[in-house]
Amino acid sequence: MNDGLVILDPTAERDEATGRPLAAALPAGTGARIALLDIRKPRGDVFLDEIERLLRERGHEVQRTAKPTFTKPAPADLRREIAEHCDAVIEALAD
Amino acid sequence: MEVIALVKHDCETCATLAPALEAAAIAGAPVRMVSQSNEAETRAFAERVGLTTVPELDEGLALSERLDPEAVPAVVLLDGDEEQDRVEGLHRARLEALFAAAGATLPRDGLPEIKPGCTSITQEPEVAARLAAKRARAAGRIRARELDLGALEDPFEALHQRGLTDGLPVVPPTPERVVALLEHTRRDPQDLVGVVPPYGGEATVEKVAINAVMAGCAGPELPIVLAAVEAACREAFALHGLIATTHPAGPLVIVSGPYADEAGMNARGNALGQGNRANSTIGRALQLVARNVGGGRPGVEDRAAHGQPGKVGAAFAERLEDSPFDGLAQDRGVPADETGITLVAAEAPRLLLDQLAREPEGLCASLATALESIAHPKQRLAWDGLVVLGPEHGRIFREAGWDRARVRDRLFALTTSPAGDIVRGAGGSPEGVEERFVSDPDMPVAKFAAPDRILLAYAGGDAGLFSMVYGSWAAGEIGSAPQSASVEPWR
Amino acid sequence: MSCGLRDVLELESLDTPAVLVASNAFVQAADDQAQKLGQPEIRRIFVDHPVQDRTDDELQATARAVVDDVLGRLVA
Repeated sequence: MNDGLVILDPTAERDEATGRPLAAALPAGTGARIALLDIRKPRGDVFLDEIERLLRERGHEVQRTAKPTFTKPAPADLRREIAEHCDAVIEALAD
Repeated sequence: MEVIALVKHDCETCATLAPALEAAAIAGAPVRMVSQSNEAETRAFAERVGLTTVPELDEGLALSERLDPEAVPAVVLLDGDEEQDRVEGLHRARLEALFAAAGATLPRDGLPEIKPGCTSITQEPEVAARLAAKRARAAGRIRARELDLGALEDPFEALHQRGLTDGLPVVPPTPERVVALLEHTRRDPQDLVGVVPPYGGEATVEKVAINAVMAGCAGPELPIVLAAVEAACREAFALHGLIATTHPAGPLVIVSGPYADEAGMNARGNALGQGNRANSTIGRALQLVARNVGGGRPGVEDRAAHGQPGKVGAAFAERLEDSPFDGLAQDRGVPADETGITLVAAEAPRLLLDQLAREPEGLCASLATALESIAHPKQRLAWDGLVVLGPEHGRIFREAGWDRARVRDRLFALTTSPAGDIVRGAGGSPEGVEERFVSDPDMPVAKFAAPDRILLAYAGGDAGLFSMVYGSWAAGEIGSAPQSASVEPWR
Repeated sequence: MSCGLRDVLELESLDTPAVLVASNAFVQAADDQAQKLGQPEIRRIFVDHPVQDRTDDELQATARAVVDDVLGRLVA
């Protein structure tokens, strides 16, 4: 056997993804409705409480929400609900 | 009518018959001599035997595959596509009759009455495997992309360099090896087993088989690996989180039922250790699927701070013949007459030594101490526990007639501690339950969320007053729930 | 962190700018995974690791230190 070995590809054979879109940033200067999405790891709520206070100070509206668990991605209907009611999202605190 | 004679260059019987076949052809018989060997070999054969024409080559062994002889020379009488007669090996009288049926004569000078043939090249293991792989590709059973490892590359180094291993060498997954492994399941190789996080790669039966070859599986383990992959990809197992966590847990496969034996697994001495091929390769195959199909790799997606040896792969079989309980999978819903797996997001096991308990109560008290220290003695409710009872311990429950539910309930009750002992700061450790949750320091606080969060399995060698205790990753609804499944749909 | 990257990417595809706040133990991992997910520019801000043992005061100070950066990622 002089030829090189042929093997079957053990991977999913997906080319590296490209071009996933980013949304447009919010226009400057206006108050926005910002969702604070708590991933539900301990201590994240303390951080987000302060972020909430600071965002309100800066004239923004805040909606607090949370994932069921930090161990899995957020459920699709939670994401949809946030996208429908809010202009932007801050997800925290991943450690 | 046509006569096809398949020959091989290194077959002496073919050499004996060949001149007679050529003479018959020259005299007008409708006979074709076709060689299973390559061009150079066939040329040398013709010269050695004194043929005037070099026999034609069986390109790609297509004819040999179609006629599928066991031995050569294989002389086959065809009427169109239909086979009328065949003679394998040299039987002069039968060959004469075959030629007569074709309206021709086989010159008998110098031919012995009988001479046994040689194995057809299609029966040689390497060739048979190669043809099987070709057939599988042509039939669409195999669809994975082929990767060429360069002729000058060491295949083991090449697989390392392409990032396809877990640090240990893997068996190169040639089409032949993968096709052979797929014989161990009736499932279509393109059936989808699961979608693997973190990047959502699709694990088909074929992709699982490729990684199972790499892990070193012999074949019978495949249905167990398939069941484990399907279970691991269920949302309730939270594999994405398990891969991405800083916690050391990894998937542990526990097999309960007679198929574990058929697959060659070890349920006895050193079942959690090295030395048994099936135990060592089943968990490894699952982890290679996670790595290669799912794309989760240590240092990038896998953020384990330390990890632990079980993440290379962890699988063992339950020792059911003298267990005090039924199989763990059967306890969790797999039908009693089927073999099942239970998949747990588990740490590495710790020893629980108890050499003096002779009654269930005393042994439970010891086991409870090990269970309560999972993660940290003052960490409560977030974790499941798994006890792998050793036979010398299991005997105590069996002789006292304690079933799994009774042991589990007792362990649940014994793994409570007074709130004052597990509050933050108690014992000098800042860990523990927040003070605001502790109104009464005497109030008992359970370690586990419910009795059925303590899993009990049974395995190990005859001697040794030991059991092994595993803690889990984050459990319950916020984390990973153990998954049980039957192996039967994958056989 | 890995699940969080997925979340923000999905929110972006629903036309909602989203930023992940993670501890700086994950900077490299986030870069690598964002690349593999097909969007290297996934919005992300890092705070000091560790988080679990910080007092409330410390976490509040961290929030004050990053809030304008966080907003800056969401606003043009």
